Amino acid sequence: MSSDLYREQLLDHYHNPDNFGALEHADVDIEMDNPTCGDVIHLTARLDSAGRIAEVMFEGQGCVISMASASMFTEHVKGKTLEEISAMGLTEIQEMMGGVKLSMGRVKCALLPLNAMKEGLKEKQ
Amino acid sequence: MQLDVAAIRQEFPIFERKIHGKRLVFLDSAASSQKPRAVIDAMMRMYTHSYANVHRGLYTIAEEVTEAYEETRAKIARFINAPDPAEIINVRNATEGLNLVAYSWGETHVHAGDRIVITEMEHHANLVPWQQLALRKGAQLAYIPVTDAGELQLDALPPLLADGRTKVVACSVMSNVLGALPPVTRIAEMAHAAGALVVMDGAQAIPHRAVDVQALGADFLAFSGHKMCGPGVGILWGRRELLEAMPPFLYGGDMIRTVKRHYAKWNELPYKFEAGTPAIAEVIGLGAAVDFLSAIGMDVIHAHEQEVVAYALERLAEIPTLHVLGSSRGERNGVVSFWMDNIHPHDIAAILDGDGVCVRAGHHCAQPLHDRFNLPATARASFYIYNDKDDVDALVKALHNVVSILGR
Repeated sequence: MSSDLYREQLLDHYHNPDNFGALEHADVDIEMDNPTCGDVIHLTARLDSAGRIAEVMFEGQGCVISMASASMFTEHVKGKTLEEISAMGLTEIQEMMGGVKLSMGRVKCALLPLNAMKEGLKEKQ
Repeated sequence: MQLDVAAIRQEFPIFERKIHGKRLVFLDSAASSQKPRAVIDAMMRMYTHSYANVHRGLYTIAEEVTEAYEETRAKIARFINAPDPAEIINVRNATEGLNLVAYSWGETHVHAGDRIVITEMEHHANLVPWQQLALRKGAQLAYIPVTDAGELQLDALPPLLADGRTKVVACSVMSNVLGALPPVTRIAEMAHAAGALVVMDGAQAIPHRAVDVQALGADFLAFSGHKMCGPGVGILWGRRELLEAMPPFLYGGDMIRTVKRHYAKWNELPYKFEAGTPAIAEVIGLGAAVDFLSAIGMDVIHAHEQEVVAYALERLAEIPTLHVLGSSRGERNGVVSFWMDNIHPHDIAAILDGDGVCVRAGHHCAQPLHDRFNLPATARASFYIYNDKDDVDALVKALHNVVSILGR
């Protein structure tokens, strides 16, 4: 478990996250937390003229799983439509994270960026 | 007297298990303890030998089970030095016991403009019921603060008692995060002098040290069986005259004397507060747990845990990026909450699991306390009778592993 969970790929994203920061004039701008573990994420995104995700940035603090998931998420969702985002679930997030097996307690951490994005898109509508 | 930890571990079947090929190092008893064979057997024996519902049957096994159920009540009364077994109420857990007081006593005694005083170190179980009562009633909720050193700032209490509006002071006998033991006897004296009642949360204290409810000066005290080697059942103790005057909390079978079409009369204590079929096997299992702990001796248990926790604090100080929450002076029961620079507690717990070491990560149902220290979460190691210095060594070794994986 732990050796799998703390594999190099996830640790790299945790220590050197992609797209860390916040976009100005963003279409999506949302902060979300996991109250039980104290993970916090601030997610910003811009959509292109076709309504697809053009750019995503995140900032926040949390465990390896939530932060690595957020880092990978910012690249993973580029070019996706809102329908595609709303259809995303745990399976796709786990695949995105290299097929990592998550225990029940860590699922919420991994889903934090996706849930933030879904909520942010809902707020925008 | 020294505790023979190796012999005690043999009483707990779970320690035969290996976790990821490693010995199980269970450091989460503050959340829930493991169960000795004696408790498991007592419940099994009841189910296989003399199970029936309590209080109603006129046949042999129903009488046997009722006798065992009521014997446990008397046993628990002796264990906490309650004057009368009828003051021992079987509930689901400490949380339900505290809710019972907040609803039954609180609804009838706390009014708009009154004050409820709690401490900043309360577990949510002794916080949210009072917070919500205050909101329902338009009463004020005031907190006794916790100092940076993790101790209760007792001089904040007298001003809260001065105007006579405080109806109840709710405090934990031992913090589940800091391991601190607030001066509850002193708090009770001060509260009583101001005409307020004292409701104590004994969930963390009862499993680890001898507790005498009369010496503490409590009016109510609640605790959970599952943290003291027993199954999932809770106990509420309250002073007889208070319980007598309180309305029932739950209504239904067993708690009534007579029921007519448009009114009902209540049963005597403790049955007035035990509506419906209780957790019979669990209560009997708790009786076995009380016997098990009493045979070892609560003072022996307490002394052993003091030794283990002192060793833990000493060894944890070896890791420069690790910080322990709470006081290093004064008395601390077997709970050590800590955080590590730039490492999330969830990651600590997950990596420790790989070494068979079980700790808890989160806010441990004490969010306002974590807010007070500006920490979203901590990791917590807690010790009990089956833990020894080898377990501390295993913890520290695993923490070094956490540093090597994440501490760059």
